[in-house]
Amino acid sequence: MQSDAQLLSAARSDPHAFRELYERYAGRVHGFHLGRTRDYEAALDLTAETFAHAWLSRARFEDRASGSAGPWLFAIARNVLVTSVRRNRLERFARERLDLLEERAVEPEPEERWLEGLDEALAALSDGELEALQLRIVDELSYEELGRRTGTTAGAARVRVHRGLTALRQRLLKPKEALR
Amino acid sequence: MMEAPALTALGDALERAAAQDLRRRRTRRRRLVALVATLVVAVPGIAYAASSLISVDEVAAGLPAGTYMLQGTAPHCTVVHAGIEYHCVLSKLPAQPEVADLKGTVEPTVNGDKHVNGGCRSLRSDGREWQCYIGQAAVEQRIVSADFLGEYAPGPGRG
Repeated sequence: MQSDAQLLSAARSDPHAFRELYERYAGRVHGFHLGRTRDYEAALDLTAETFAHAWLSRARFEDRASGSAGPWLFAIARNVLVTSVRRNRLERFARERLDLLEERAVEPEPEERWLEGLDEALAALSDGELEALQLRIVDELSYEELGRRTGTTAGAARVRVHRGLTALRQRLLKPKEALR
Repeated sequence: MMEAPALTALGDALERAAAQDLRRRRTRRRRLVALVATLVVAVPGIAYAASSLISVDEVAAGLPAGTYMLQGTAPHCTVVHAGIEYHCVLSKLPAQPEVADLKGTVEPTVNGDKHVNGGCRSLRSDGREWQCYIGQAAVEQRIVSADFLGEYAPGPGRG
Protein backbone atom coordinates (compact mmCIF):
# COMPACT_ATOMS: atom_id res chain seq x y z
CA MET A 1 0.00 0.00 0.00
CA GLN A 2 1.26 3.43 -0.89
CA SER A 3 2.03 5.85 1.93
CA ASP A 4 0.26 9.19 2.14
CA ALA A 5 3.47 10.87 1.07
CA GLN A 6 3.66 8.67 -2.01
CA LEU A 7 0.05 9.41 -2.86
CA LEU A 8 0.64 13.14 -2.55
CA SER A 9 3.67 12.86 -4.75
CA ALA A 10 1.66 10.96 -7.36
CA ALA A 11 -1.17 13.46 -6.98
CA ARG A 12 0.94 16.16 -8.57
CA SER A 13 -0.23 14.76 -11.87
CA ASP A 14 -2.85 12.21 -10.92
CA PRO A 15 -6.25 13.19 -9.42
CA HIS A 16 -6.97 9.51 -8.65
CA ALA A 17 -4.06 9.41 -6.22
CA PHE A 18 -5.47 12.44 -4.48
CA ARG A 19 -8.87 10.76 -4.35
CA GLU A 20 -7.28 7.81 -2.59
CA LEU A 21 -5.80 10.13 0.00
CA TYR A 22 -9.22 11.75 0.36
CA GLU A 23 -10.79 8.35 0.95
CA ARG A 24 -8.34 7.73 3.76
CA TYR A 25 -8.93 11.00 5.58
CA ALA A 26 -12.27 12.47 4.51
CA GLY A 27 -14.17 10.83 7.36
CA ARG A 28 -11.70 11.97 9.99
CA VAL A 29 -11.39 15.49 8.63
CA HIS A 30 -15.16 15.77 8.45
CA GLY A 31 -15.32 14.40 11.97
CA PHE A 32 -12.87 17.04 13.12
CA HIS A 33 -14.96 19.84 11.63
CA LEU A 34 -18.20 18.27 12.82
CA GLY A 35 -16.79 18.02 16.32
CA ARG A 36 -16.03 21.75 16.27
CA THR A 37 -19.09 23.08 14.47
CA ARG A 38 -21.79 20.58 15.35
CA ASP A 39 -23.23 21.52 11.96
CA TYR A 40 -23.19 18.78 9.36
CA GLU A 41 -23.38 21.05 6.31
CA ALA A 42 -20.82 23.47 7.67
CA ALA A 43 -18.50 20.56 8.40
CA LEU A 44 -19.00 19.32 4.85
CA ASP A 45 -18.08 22.73 3.42
CA LEU A 46 -15.07 22.99 5.69
CA THR A 47 -14.00 19.50 4.66
CA ALA A 48 -14.28 20.47 1.01
CA GLU A 49 -12.23 23.60 1.68
CA THR A 50 -9.63 21.59 3.59
CA PHE A 51 -9.10 19.13 0.74
CA ALA A 52 -9.23 21.84 -1.90
CA HIS A 53 -6.45 23.59 0.03
CA ALA A 54 -4.56 20.32 0.24
CA TRP A 55 -4.87 19.84 -3.51
CA LEU A 56 -3.62 23.34 -4.28
CA SER A 57 -0.68 23.05 -1.88
CA ARG A 58 0.14 19.37 -2.43
CA ALA A 59 3.45 20.22 -4.08
CA ARG A 60 4.59 21.88 -0.86
CA PHE A 61 3.91 18.82 1.28
CA GLU A 62 6.98 17.70 3.18
CA ASP A 63 7.03 14.28 4.75
CA ARG A 64 7.69 15.00 8.43
CA ALA A 65 5.63 12.22 9.92
CA SER A 66 7.08 9.04 8.48
CA GLY A 67 4.94 9.09 5.36
CA SER A 68 1.73 10.19 7.05
CA ALA A 69 -0.14 13.20 5.73
CA GLY A 70 -2.35 13.30 8.81
CA PRO A 71 -0.57 16.11 10.70
CA TRP A 72 -0.37 18.16 7.51
CA LEU A 73 -4.04 17.67 6.65
CA PHE A 74 -5.23 18.43 10.15
CA ALA A 75 -3.05 21.54 10.23
CA ILE A 76 -4.85 22.67 7.08
CA ALA A 77 -8.20 21.74 8.60
CA ARG A 78 -7.41 23.75 11.70
CA ASN A 79 -6.35 26.77 9.64
CA VAL A 80 -9.52 26.59 7.54
CA LEU A 81 -11.60 26.44 10.70
CA VAL A 82 -9.78 29.28 12.47
CA THR A 83 -9.84 31.48 9.36
CA SER A 84 -13.56 30.89 8.93
CA VAL A 85 -14.28 31.92 12.51
CA ARG A 86 -11.99 34.93 12.34
CA ARG A 87 -13.66 36.17 9.15
CA ASN A 88 -17.11 35.16 10.32
CA ARG A 89 -17.61 33.45 6.97
CA LEU A 90 -16.78 29.97 5.79
CA GLU A 91 -13.38 30.01 4.12
CA ARG A 92 -13.91 29.49 0.39
CA PHE A 93 -10.64 30.54 -1.24
CA ALA A 94 -9.54 27.07 -2.36
CA ARG A 95 -13.04 25.99 -3.39
CA GLU A 96 -13.36 29.07 -5.56
CA ARG A 97 -10.03 28.34 -7.16
CA LEU A 98 -11.26 24.86 -8.06
CA ASP A 99 -14.82 25.87 -8.99
CA LEU A 100 -15.96 23.62 -6.18
CA LEU A 101 -18.35 26.00 -4.49
CA GLU A 102 -21.78 24.70 -3.76
CA GLU A 103 -24.11 27.59 -3.13
CA ARG A 104 -26.48 27.00 -0.25
CA ALA A 105 -29.74 28.74 0.45
CA VAL A 106 -28.54 29.42 3.96
CA GLU A 107 -24.81 29.68 4.44
CA PRO A 108 -23.68 28.41 7.85
CA GLU A 109 -22.24 31.19 9.97
CA PRO A 110 -19.07 30.44 11.86
CA GLU A 111 -19.17 30.94 15.60
CA GLU A 112 -16.45 31.52 18.15
CA ARG A 113 -17.43 28.36 19.97
CA TRP A 114 -16.14 26.35 16.99
CA LEU A 115 -12.67 27.05 18.30
CA GLU A 116 -13.40 25.87 21.82
CA GLY A 117 -11.22 23.00 22.80
CA LEU A 118 -8.60 23.50 20.13
CA ASP A 119 -6.03 24.95 22.51
CA GLU A 120 -7.24 22.77 25.34
CA ALA A 121 -6.34 19.70 23.30
CA LEU A 122 -2.78 20.92 23.13
CA ALA A 123 -2.81 21.86 26.78
CA ALA A 124 -3.92 18.34 27.69
CA LEU A 125 -0.74 16.84 26.30
CA SER A 126 2.08 15.96 28.65
CA ASP A 127 5.06 18.31 28.66
CA GLY A 128 7.16 15.65 26.97
CA GLU A 129 4.61 15.08 24.20
CA LEU A 130 4.12 18.79 23.66
CA GLU A 131 7.85 19.42 23.47
CA ALA A 132 8.32 16.48 21.09
CA LEU A 133 5.55 17.73 18.80
CA GLN A 134 6.93 21.26 18.92
CA LEU A 135 10.44 20.12 18.00
CA ARG A 136 9.25 17.71 15.32
CA ILE A 137 6.38 19.58 13.66
CA VAL A 138 7.28 23.21 14.20
CA ASP A 139 11.06 23.12 14.36
CA GLU A 140 11.25 20.26 11.84
CA LEU A 141 13.98 18.36 13.70
CA SER A 142 14.86 14.83 12.68
CA TYR A 143 14.07 12.11 15.20
CA GLU A 144 17.79 11.73 15.85
CA GLU A 145 18.17 15.43 16.65
CA LEU A 146 14.94 15.42 18.62
CA GLY A 147 16.26 12.51 20.67
CA ARG A 148 19.52 14.35 21.39
CA ARG A 149 17.65 17.49 22.43
CA THR A 150 15.35 15.63 24.80
CA GLY A 151 17.95 13.22 26.15
CA THR A 152 16.47 10.08 24.66
CA THR A 153 16.86 7.83 21.64
CA ALA A 154 15.52 8.48 18.15
CA GLY A 155 13.13 5.55 18.56
CA ALA A 156 11.77 6.85 21.85
CA ALA A 157 11.39 10.31 20.31
CA ARG A 158 9.39 8.80 17.46
CA VAL A 159 7.09 7.04 19.93
CA ARG A 160 6.58 10.26 21.90
CA VAL A 161 5.60 12.17 18.77
CA HIS A 162 3.27 9.38 17.70
CA ARG A 163 1.56 9.33 21.08
CA GLY A 164 1.18 13.08 21.06
CA LEU A 165 -0.37 13.07 17.61
CA THR A 166 -2.70 10.24 18.51
CA ALA A 167 -3.81 11.99 21.68
CA LEU A 168 -4.42 15.20 19.77
CA ARG A 169 -6.38 13.42 17.09
CA GLN A 170 -8.58 11.66 19.61
CA ARG A 171 -9.33 14.84 21.51
CA LEU A 172 -9.98 16.93 18.44
CA LEU A 173 -12.17 14.34 16.76
CA LYS A 174 -14.27 13.72 19.84
CA PRO A 175 -17.68 15.39 19.36
CA LYS A 176 -18.58 17.81 22.08
CA GLU A 177 -22.13 16.58 22.16
CA ALA A 178 -24.50 14.29 20.33
CA LEU A 179 -24.52 14.88 16.60
CA ARG A 180 -27.15 14.29 14.03
CA MET B 1 -13.10 4.53 6.10
CA MET B 2 -15.68 6.67 4.37
CA GLU B 3 -19.33 5.79 4.33
CA ALA B 4 -21.42 8.95 4.19
CA PRO B 5 -22.91 9.53 0.71
CA ALA B 6 -22.30 13.24 1.07
CA LEU B 7 -18.60 12.62 1.57
CA THR B 8 -18.53 10.28 -1.42
CA ALA B 9 -20.25 12.92 -3.54
CA LEU B 10 -17.76 15.49 -2.28
CA GLY B 11 -14.92 13.14 -3.22
CA ASP B 12 -16.34 12.80 -6.73
CA ALA B 13 -16.66 16.57 -7.10
CA LEU B 14 -13.19 17.10 -5.71
CA GLU B 15 -11.67 14.57 -8.08
CA ARG B 16 -13.38 16.20 -11.07
CA ALA B 17 -12.25 19.64 -9.95
CA ALA B 18 -8.71 18.36 -9.46
CA ALA B 19 -8.65 16.86 -12.95
CA GLN B 20 -9.97 20.10 -14.42
CA ASP B 21 -7.38 22.08 -12.48
CA LEU B 22 -4.65 19.84 -13.90
CA ARG B 23 -5.94 20.38 -17.44
CA ARG B 24 -6.01 24.14 -16.92
CA ARG B 25 -2.48 24.11 -15.57
CA ARG B 26 -1.27 21.99 -18.47
CA THR B 27 -2.87 24.38 -20.93
CA ARG B 28 -1.22 27.32 -19.18
CA ARG B 29 2.08 25.42 -19.23
CA ARG B 30 1.76 24.74 -22.95
CA ARG B 31 1.08 28.42 -23.53
CA LEU B 32 4.08 29.30 -21.40
CA VAL B 33 6.25 26.86 -23.34
CA ALA B 34 5.04 28.40 -26.59
CA LEU B 35 5.82 31.87 -25.25
CA VAL B 36 9.28 30.79 -24.12
CA ALA B 37 9.90 29.15 -27.49
CA THR B 38 8.89 32.38 -29.19
CA LEU B 39 11.24 34.35 -26.97
CA VAL B 40 14.06 31.89 -27.57
CA VAL B 41 13.69 32.58 -31.27
CA ALA B 42 13.12 36.28 -30.89
CA VAL B 43 15.70 37.16 -28.26
CA PRO B 44 18.73 36.00 -30.23
CA GLY B 45 17.42 38.14 -33.08
CA ILE B 46 17.08 41.06 -30.73
CA ALA B 47 20.51 40.34 -29.29
CA TYR B 48 21.95 40.10 -32.79
CA ALA B 49 20.32 43.37 -33.75
CA ALA B 50 21.75 45.00 -30.62
CA SER B 51 25.19 43.59 -31.24
CA SER B 52 25.03 44.68 -34.84
CA LEU B 53 24.53 48.26 -33.76
CA ILE B 54 27.66 50.01 -34.78
CA SER B 55 29.48 52.69 -32.82
CA VAL B 56 30.28 56.10 -34.27
CA ASP B 57 33.99 55.25 -33.99
CA GLU B 58 33.46 52.12 -36.09
CA VAL B 59 31.60 54.15 -38.71
CA ALA B 60 34.40 56.72 -38.67
CA ALA B 61 37.03 54.00 -39.06
CA GLY B 62 35.04 52.47 -41.90
CA LEU B 63 35.51 55.47 -44.19
CA PRO B 64 39.32 55.34 -44.60
CA ALA B 65 39.20 51.55 -44.39
CA GLY B 66 36.96 51.49 -47.43
CA THR B 67 38.43 54.30 -49.50
CA TYR B 68 42.09 54.96 -50.11
CA MET B 69 41.74 58.71 -50.62
CA LEU B 70 40.14 59.10 -47.19
CA GLN B 71 43.05 57.64 -45.31
CA GLY B 72 44.52 60.05 -42.79
CA THR B 73 41.41 62.24 -42.78
CA ALA B 74 40.39 61.28 -39.23
CA PRO B 75 36.59 61.37 -39.63
CA HIS B 76 34.34 62.18 -36.72
CA CYS B 77 30.82 60.80 -36.95
CA THR B 78 27.55 61.47 -35.15
CA VAL B 79 24.40 59.38 -35.06
CA VAL B 80 21.45 60.32 -37.23
CA HIS B 81 19.58 57.03 -36.85
CA ALA B 82 21.43 54.52 -34.68
CA GLY B 83 22.68 51.56 -36.66
CA ILE B 84 21.44 53.06 -39.93
CA GLU B 85 22.53 56.61 -40.70
CA TYR B 86 25.48 58.72 -39.56
CA HIS B 87 26.85 62.17 -40.35
CA CYS B 88 30.61 62.31 -40.62
CA VAL B 89 32.99 65.24 -40.79
CA LEU B 90 36.63 64.83 -41.75
CA SER B 91 39.23 66.44 -39.51
CA LYS B 92 41.52 66.75 -42.53
CA LEU B 93 40.52 67.12 -46.14
CA PRO B 94 41.49 64.34 -48.49
CA ALA B 95 45.08 64.97 -49.57
CA GLN B 96 44.63 63.63 -53.07
CA PRO B 97 40.97 63.66 -54.11
CA GLU B 98 40.40 61.42 -57.08
CA VAL B 99 37.90 63.85 -58.56
CA ALA B 100 37.82 67.64 -58.42
CA ASP B 101 34.31 67.86 -57.06
CA LEU B 102 33.53 65.25 -54.48
CA LYS B 103 29.95 66.31 -53.84
CA GLY B 104 27.65 63.36 -54.45
CA THR B 105 30.54 60.93 -54.64
CA VAL B 106 29.76 57.63 -52.98
CA GLU B 107 32.28 55.40 -51.23
CA PRO B 108 31.94 52.10 -49.40
CA THR B 109 32.75 51.66 -45.74
CA VAL B 110 34.56 48.59 -44.44
CA ASN B 111 34.34 47.16 -40.95
CA GLY B 112 37.08 45.78 -38.73
CA ASP B 113 36.68 42.34 -40.27
CA LYS B 114 37.45 43.82 -43.67
CA HIS B 115 33.99 43.38 -45.09
CA VAL B 116 31.89 46.05 -46.77
CA ASN B 117 29.31 47.14 -44.21
CA GLY B 118 27.80 50.24 -45.82
CA GLY B 119 28.68 53.38 -47.67
CA CYS B 120 28.82 57.18 -47.57
CA ARG B 121 27.88 60.04 -49.85
CA SER B 122 29.87 63.26 -49.87
CA LEU B 123 27.80 66.31 -49.02
CA ARG B 124 30.42 68.84 -50.06
CA SER B 125 32.66 69.38 -53.00
CA ASP B 126 35.78 69.34 -50.84
CA GLY B 127 34.71 66.06 -49.30
CA ARG B 128 34.70 67.29 -45.70
CA GLU B 129 31.18 66.06 -44.83
CA TRP B 130 29.73 62.68 -45.57
CA GLN B 131 26.38 61.07 -44.95
CA CYS B 132 26.94 57.41 -44.20
CA TYR B 133 24.53 54.50 -44.23
CA ILE B 134 25.02 51.06 -42.69
CA GLY B 135 23.91 47.73 -44.12
CA GLN B 136 20.77 47.56 -46.22
CA ALA B 137 20.27 51.30 -45.85
CA ALA B 138 23.40 51.81 -48.00
CA VAL B 139 21.84 49.58 -50.66
CA GLU B 140 18.60 51.52 -50.53
CA GLN B 141 20.58 54.76 -50.89
CA ARG B 142 22.18 53.27 -54.02
CA ILE B 143 25.65 53.70 -52.51
CA VAL B 144 26.59 50.04 -52.70
CA SER B 145 24.96 47.19 -54.50
CA ALA B 146 23.33 44.35 -52.62
CA ASP B 147 25.99 42.03 -54.02
CA PHE B 148 28.81 44.24 -52.82
CA LEU B 149 27.45 44.56 -49.27
CA GLY B 150 29.28 42.04 -47.12
CA GLU B 151 32.01 41.45 -49.66
CA TYR B 152 35.54 40.90 -48.42
CA ALA B 153 37.63 44.04 -48.78
CA PRO B 154 41.18 43.47 -47.58
CA GLY B 155 42.36 46.98 -48.46
CA PRO B 156 40.89 50.42 -49.16
CA GLY B 157 39.62 50.86 -52.68
CA ARG B 158 40.90 53.31 -55.23
CA GLY B 159 38.96 55.06 -57.92
